[in-house]
Amino acid sequence: MPSGNRLFFVFALLAALLCAWAANAQEPSRAEAKAPHVTVSLLIPPAQIYPGERFTAGLDFRMEPGWHVYWINAGDSGEPPKAQWKLPAGITADALQFPAPKRLPLGPLMDFGYEGEVIFPVPMQVANDYQPTGKQATLGAHVSWLVCREVCLPGKGDLSVERDAFAASLGAPQVDAATQAEIAQYESKVPKPLPAGDAVRFRSTARGFVLDVETGTREDSAQFFPLDAMVIVNAAKQPAQPLNNGVQLSLTKDDNLQATSQQLNGVVELPTGEAYVIHATPGSLTSGGAGKVGNSGGLAGAAGLAFLGGILLNLMPCVFPVLFIKGLALVQSSQQESGRLRAHGWVYTLGILVSFWVVVAVLLALRAAGQQLGWGFQFQSPIFLALMAMLLFFLGLALAGQFEIGLSLTSAGGSLAEKHGYAGSFFTGVLAMVVATPCTAPFMGAAIGYALAHSAAVSFTVFTALALGLAAPYLLLAYNPGWTRLLPRPGAWMEVLKQAVSVPIFATVIWLVWVFARIAGTDALFGLLVAFLLLAIAGWCLGRWPAKWSSAIAAAAVLLAAIGTSVWAVRAFGGETVRRATVIFRNGSRVQGPETATEWQPFSPALLTQERSEGRPVFVDFTASWCLSCQVNERLILNRSDVRQRLHDSGAALLRADWTNEDPDITHALAALGRSGVPTYAIYPADPNAIPHVLPEVLTPGIVLDALNSLGNPPRQSARVAVQ
Amino acid sequence: MRRLSFATAGAILVLSLSAWAIRVGDPAPDFTGTDSHGQTHRLSDYRGKYVVLEWTNKGCPYTRKHYDSGNMENLQKEWTAKGVIWLTVLSSAPGEQGYMTAAQENSFMTKMHASPTAAILDPTGAIGHEYEAKTTPDMYVIDPSGKLIYSGAIDDHPTMDLADIKVSKNYVSAALEAAMAGRTVPVGYTRPYGCSVKYASE
Repeated sequence: MPSGNRLFFVFALLAALLCAWAANAQEPSRAEAKAPHVTVSLLIPPAQIYPGERFTAGLDFRMEPGWHVYWINAGDSGEPPKAQWKLPAGITADALQFPAPKRLPLGPLMDFGYEGEVIFPVPMQVANDYQPTGKQATLGAHVSWLVCREVCLPGKGDLSVERDAFAASLGAPQVDAATQAEIAQYESKVPKPLPAGDAVRFRSTARGFVLDVETGTREDSAQFFPLDAMVIVNAAKQPAQPLNNGVQLSLTKDDNLQATSQQLNGVVELPTGEAYVIHATPGSLTSGGAGKVGNSGGLAGAAGLAFLGGILLNLMPCVFPVLFIKGLALVQSSQQESGRLRAHGWVYTLGILVSFWVVVAVLLALRAAGQQLGWGFQFQSPIFLALMAMLLFFLGLALAGQFEIGLSLTSAGGSLAEKHGYAGSFFTGVLAMVVATPCTAPFMGAAIGYALAHSAAVSFTVFTALALGLAAPYLLLAYNPGWTRLLPRPGAWMEVLKQAVSVPIFATVIWLVWVFARIAGTDALFGLLVAFLLLAIAGWCLGRWPAKWSSAIAAAAVLLAAIGTSVWAVRAFGGETVRRATVIFRNGSRVQGPETATEWQPFSPALLTQERSEGRPVFVDFTASWCLSCQVNERLILNRSDVRQRLHDSGAALLRADWTNEDPDITHALAALGRSGVPTYAIYPADPNAIPHVLPEVLTPGIVLDALNSLGNPPRQSARVAVQ
Repeated sequence: MRRLSFATAGAILVLSLSAWAIRVGDPAPDFTGTDSHGQTHRLSDYRGKYVVLEWTNKGCPYTRKHYDSGNMENLQKEWTAKGVIWLTVLSSAPGEQGYMTAAQENSFMTKMHASPTAAILDPTGAIGHEYEAKTTPDMYVIDPSGKLIYSGAIDDHPTMDLADIKVSKNYVSAALEAAMAGRTVPVGYTRPYGCSVKYASE
């Protein structure tokens, strides 16, 4: 019968509705909205709403792989999700809480957000005088979001959950434990305030901020996420320096930041996953620091270090012969008036200062022009090496006694000698600076890296301090004629001493020739040695017929021939073919020394990323043939049997970045570590988001072993999907 | 000869004192670009005029907010009529969202009634990288002396909602109005909002 059918139909419909309602009631605490690439849910754990209740709701975003939503400060692009609450009277919701984010690099940009899944906890309160308007309360939200991978899709949805409402508080309220646990899991990831008693300070530097965070334990690395936009460059690396009870981060300032910041607000995430909200006030926490001298911070500190470094440079084998020459000249002229001595001292200082300034200006100009150069780069140019070697060889010949020149020590009185003297002092200063550059002594690396990373004014200040340090010993002698009385009286021994000084000069020449041969090849070396022969001939001319114009002209002509020969040799033979051969040499055999047992591979950015993605930490040794400290560290420390064993056992990949020749990849990697020269030793953890640990320039076995121990056992984990 | 060496020394000094990056108040970097009609444009060609650079990506919801509402087109018409050179720049790499061939861009502009002075096609992203363009839209205003006077968002409502345009303060118009009246630009730098510029992956 039709009416019977209709009745049955209505009955079935009612049953279906009842089932649907019941099914809904089985999942009461969650309302879901499916959108492209993301599913958004509103989670309300408690089953009942009653006066005085407090609970934490949640907004759950589940994203398809590769898609992300954003943190409260999204970074360079993007927007965080927003919720507009539609709640009954008497129920209030706090703002969304944001768990600690991840860095989401996107080409040259950096965003902050979440991949996979994230629940934003929302604390809610029910007023004590809450009056339900019906048997149920509807808690709803209008949620809008931006979900992105390569492209961005905006989305919005209305979600609501119904709950039984009561006018009086309940004795035994029911809660959906599973949902509550889910929310609690993400609540624990919301950054907490720093424990009371832990300080956080920041100070401005020319290019950014140095943030000191005290956490109570020594931290090897950390990441800073700013809460305010336009304060730091989000994409810039944040080199971390462990402190005894925390960590220090170097942040790069946004170029357009005008006002001086009174407070630095953000989140600091530690490798363990802990995250703290910080509001850093101006100041510093590193008075003693972690024993890393280069970290004293501040312009005065860097300048002071540079000054000390300059003084120390006088002792390095590259510079000492030059100082020795000047010292001997002082000894020679201890008979002259003090005024002239002082003048010589100042002219020498001026020579050093001017040449430092010229080099710094050129470096800054080149840096501004976009080239990547580090200190010591001159020694990557074979022509420069050849000219330096020839200059020192000629000087060595003069000292050995083949002939006398104005630059030599025995300038006996008279106005001509004086004229020579001043010019000689000036150019000796220039020579001192030129030869000093590649000897990056322990104090120097940090000061130079600091200076080159900062503004021009800072660079000039630091290098001026360096120059003054280099000149100081001689200046000191020149200003204390009394001390020259302490110097031995002139005599026959001076001639012997002069000849003896030629020995370190020739040693330096040998070293330069060795580096030249490695860079330019043996064919170019042949040309250089021919040039040396020509120099010896020129010297003989000057010696055979001293103080004669004709011999001087002849010598000059031969000198020019010598220079021409070496330059031609480099041009003809020291070209690309040699570079390729050097690559094969590097790839196929050990680069330096007898480390046949270790597995050092040549550095490349791709290899570094690959090793890290395979779960291996990477130990990178940035070195160069012309860098003496590098050679010393490698032979004495890295090559020690216990260190070698530990390197092998650690499972870390060992990469050697040979910077003997100019290599933009290596220069870039150094800059990313905040360094501009060699030696540099860095351990890159397996986690690609973790910050590399940079070791000091002066290695000890203890330093290397400690650093390797802190790596622990590298977990074998699969590669993270890089979001582009 | 002396003048030349003086100029060189001065250039070295200036270069050594300048930072790498884009800064409001500094000279805007020169660039060369080809537009959708094959013409070459150099920023230095427009010395003496105001120049607006607008980074765009027609697929981005933030850009669509300004184009679908007619806001961007109106701005282009209003300011080009006042002698401002308006250059739309497309830095999306081939295969990425927002990449357009010359023909596609021309037909898009016709369809949307967009009237910039030119649409520069920058698929390698060179100009984008030079200006560190982060999002679409990202706006730059350059004054007749070549100085960058504004960099950042198009307005102060970083949303995708068309309705917000009416209530938004437009930073580009504000900068142009102030500069043309000889006043200092009130807001020189804001965080640009939009989708990230789809540069070629390195």
